Amino acid sequence: MTTHWTRLGAITTIIGAALIGPAFSQDAKPQYGGELVLTGQLDKTMFPGRNTDAGGMDVYLNSCETLVELTPQSEIRPVLAESWTTSEDKKTVTFKLRQGVTFHDGTPFNAEAVAFVFDEAIAKKFLYVSLLEGLQKVVADSEYQASFRLAAPSAALINNLAYRTMCIFSPAAYKAKGEEGLGSNIIGTGPFIQTEYAKGEYALFKKNDKYWQKGKPYLDSIRILFVPDITTRLAMLESGEVDRIAGVPNFDIPRVAKDKNIALRTMPSLQQHYVVINNTVKPLDDPKVRQALNYAVDKAGIVQSVFAGIGATLSQAPTLSPGVFGFADMREPGQATIFPFDIAKAKALLKEAGYEDKGDGLKDAQGKQLSLKLYGRKAGVGDYEIAQLVKTFLEKIGVKVELTVLESATFSAALSVGPKDAKYDLAILSWTVPTADPDEPMMYMTHTKAWKPAGANRMFFSNPETDRLAEEAHVESDPVKRAAIVKQWMAALLKLAPVIYLPTVNLTDATRTYVHGGVYYPANVYDGSFAWIDQAERKKQGISR
Amino acid sequence: MLKMIFSRLVFMVAAGLLLLTFLFALFHLIPGDTARLIAGDSAPEELVASIRSAYGLDQPVGAQYVAYMQKVLIGDFGMSNFSRQPVLSVVGPRLLNTIALAGWAMLFAVMMSLIFGCISAVRWNSPLDKSISIVSLLGICTPIFVTGVVAIYLFGVYLRWLPIGGMTTWRHYLMPALTLGFAQAAGFTRMVRTCMIESLGREFIVTARAKGVPEFLIVIRHALPNALLPIITFFGLGLGGMLGGAAVTESIFNWPGLGRLMVDSILTRDLPLTQGCIFVFAMMFVIINLIVDLLYRWADPRLADAQP
Repeated sequence: MTTHWTRLGAITTIIGAALIGPAFSQDAKPQYGGELVLTGQLDKTMFPGRNTDAGGMDVYLNSCETLVELTPQSEIRPVLAESWTTSEDKKTVTFKLRQGVTFHDGTPFNAEAVAFVFDEAIAKKFLYVSLLEGLQKVVADSEYQASFRLAAPSAALINNLAYRTMCIFSPAAYKAKGEEGLGSNIIGTGPFIQTEYAKGEYALFKKNDKYWQKGKPYLDSIRILFVPDITTRLAMLESGEVDRIAGVPNFDIPRVAKDKNIALRTMPSLQQHYVVINNTVKPLDDPKVRQALNYAVDKAGIVQSVFAGIGATLSQAPTLSPGVFGFADMREPGQATIFPFDIAKAKALLKEAGYEDKGDGLKDAQGKQLSLKLYGRKAGVGDYEIAQLVKTFLEKIGVKVELTVLESATFSAALSVGPKDAKYDLAILSWTVPTADPDEPMMYMTHTKAWKPAGANRMFFSNPETDRLAEEAHVESDPVKRAAIVKQWMAALLKLAPVIYLPTVNLTDATRTYVHGGVYYPANVYDGSFAWIDQAERKKQGISR
Repeated sequence: MLKMIFSRLVFMVAAGLLLLTFLFALFHLIPGDTARLIAGDSAPEELVASIRSAYGLDQPVGAQYVAYMQKVLIGDFGMSNFSRQPVLSVVGPRLLNTIALAGWAMLFAVMMSLIFGCISAVRWNSPLDKSISIVSLLGICTPIFVTGVVAIYLFGVYLRWLPIGGMTTWRHYLMPALTLGFAQAAGFTRMVRTCMIESLGREFIVTARAKGVPEFLIVIRHALPNALLPIITFFGLGLGGMLGGAAVTESIFNWPGLGRLMVDSILTRDLPLTQGCIFVFAMMFVIINLIVDLLYRWADPRLADAQP
């Protein structure tokens, strides 16, 4: 245990030092001109309604803007909307829109366009439509006023509208070219106009001279190269062929950190690994048993061995990570994580639940061995390794674990069934809160109504208290009150332990130090549209493109 | 000759049809729900259902097969699930990029192997021959992803002589083509050397030497043409191997070719696109074989009039 901590400490210092570099020069005066070269991942269409991947957003956010945006400090800021009001019954949200904005095809941005985009999203079932549940219609009240009519109040609406995929594209272009047309040439109101696109190669964005924010953007163009191999991406950054990459491999981080021309950033993502516990199976229906399983897993050990001590952060709260609205540190004082590794505590809890290990396995009063089926897959970062470790940890407290490793598609099918067909006791998964709003985890991941196959509650977890809190938070429009409810919800989860909480995955990006003003969000989205390049510094680094 | 070409074309069509059937069967034997994969793990059930019907995945397998073959025979491989473009219009430009890469790599490999193979054979057992053998052995043993990454860090990052990814200028061609070509050149060199040593030991070489033909001409005019026969087959196979190796090279050097497209399409489970890629690759092999056969006849006049 001690070794884990000293090493973790040392690495945090390296990363901390790297963060300071660009932060100082952030205050300098922006310079105009130059091309920012980024690497991206776009293996689907570019049409926002059909691509909610972070990689897709990185691309279309340069051209297509949302009504509001969520800052890295989790504050909502107006973009295409200027202000909004909520009606007495909280079922109508009225937006006052920015005037004098035009789409890249010359058509005006107005309430008609907003209404068209969202009505089309509902009619054609855009991928993000589940986040707009309860939205019945958007009405253009006047040229620059649009009303969102809801079936029931939804406090998450504004935060969800900040989700980049809900950007307002040009209705005229959509009508003329269709989804396919916009899928390779996105037309919005953004600071950059997409001028070239070669699938699997690159996308080029040129400065929008008529952009509504005067004096912006600073760059002449943004070029996004699609480079599938991470080693190549890293080499291109080191040679200065590209200016920024995401996802530096954990084991390369110490080396890259030494390069003075590269600024390395690491932050917790919104993705948390967890072990699904089938709450309908005996004795996993007992919260004490589920808590015991939580205490039995050495999370710091997982961070160290699977993520090289760098690629993940110990969880500070159930399901939510820093950056999500309402997040609060839920650790006990002095502890590094929720459910800190404690075999004695795990055994004590199991004993309370009627299970004891007398050296021949964990058995109940009737002498029946506790045996669990754990499902895993070889996918993502570390899923398989984590499965192996969880098996070992649980076996340490005497649980017999049968690990089944499935191919991705089969795994996905096995985890997408209702409680009657579910064959797993435990399964390794991860969940993300892409909108950085707790509504999705509250309503869609842990609510009783969200039991598979309807939602994403694969634990078949059901608790009247957490359901009530989720519903309350869903309609509460006062941010302070809502945050308090979210905290209560997290506290309830800590007692009920519907899953085994595992570490949160870290995001790492590396940028050449002459790039300033780019924003990297915990949702793994990079916004470089208002970035600028220090030309002298770039020249000094010997990079001429 | 014409008859042979014709019979080969018939064979090509038969092979193509068999391959398509196999591909179709393969994807239906793979476990998992394709519609769910397209929709994503946490997509609502109705979205999965709508995707299933949109892609015809709810039809009986027999009906799906008939529909697929009917479309394929008129050149319609369907739409890519993800980019929503016709498969052939995605595959076409990528194929040309792969041919460009493999072509230059092949040219490099053939030139290098002929030069060094001949030198090695002529200076048989000399220190020069031994060094060439060692280098080519290294080339055979080292996988492309190792040579590629070493080249990237050496020429791209440290020396900064060459660009690493993309295919915009001629300089972008150098590293991927040489990396891909080097692995093949190594194998080719060994083959050329062996064939040349055998050819140089033949009696007509002794005759030529006795006539006083200069050594250079003996190698070029007498020994090489006679050594060519097995080499041509080997080159043909090598070109096939190069198309396979292109998948790795293209990924490393970010080359927008067919191999990378195929890998991407498999990773995203874009079935129509994967089928299109595999089909085009397989057909490339068949065509290369046809060309090798034709070259073989050209190189060995004794076969020119023989029946296939």
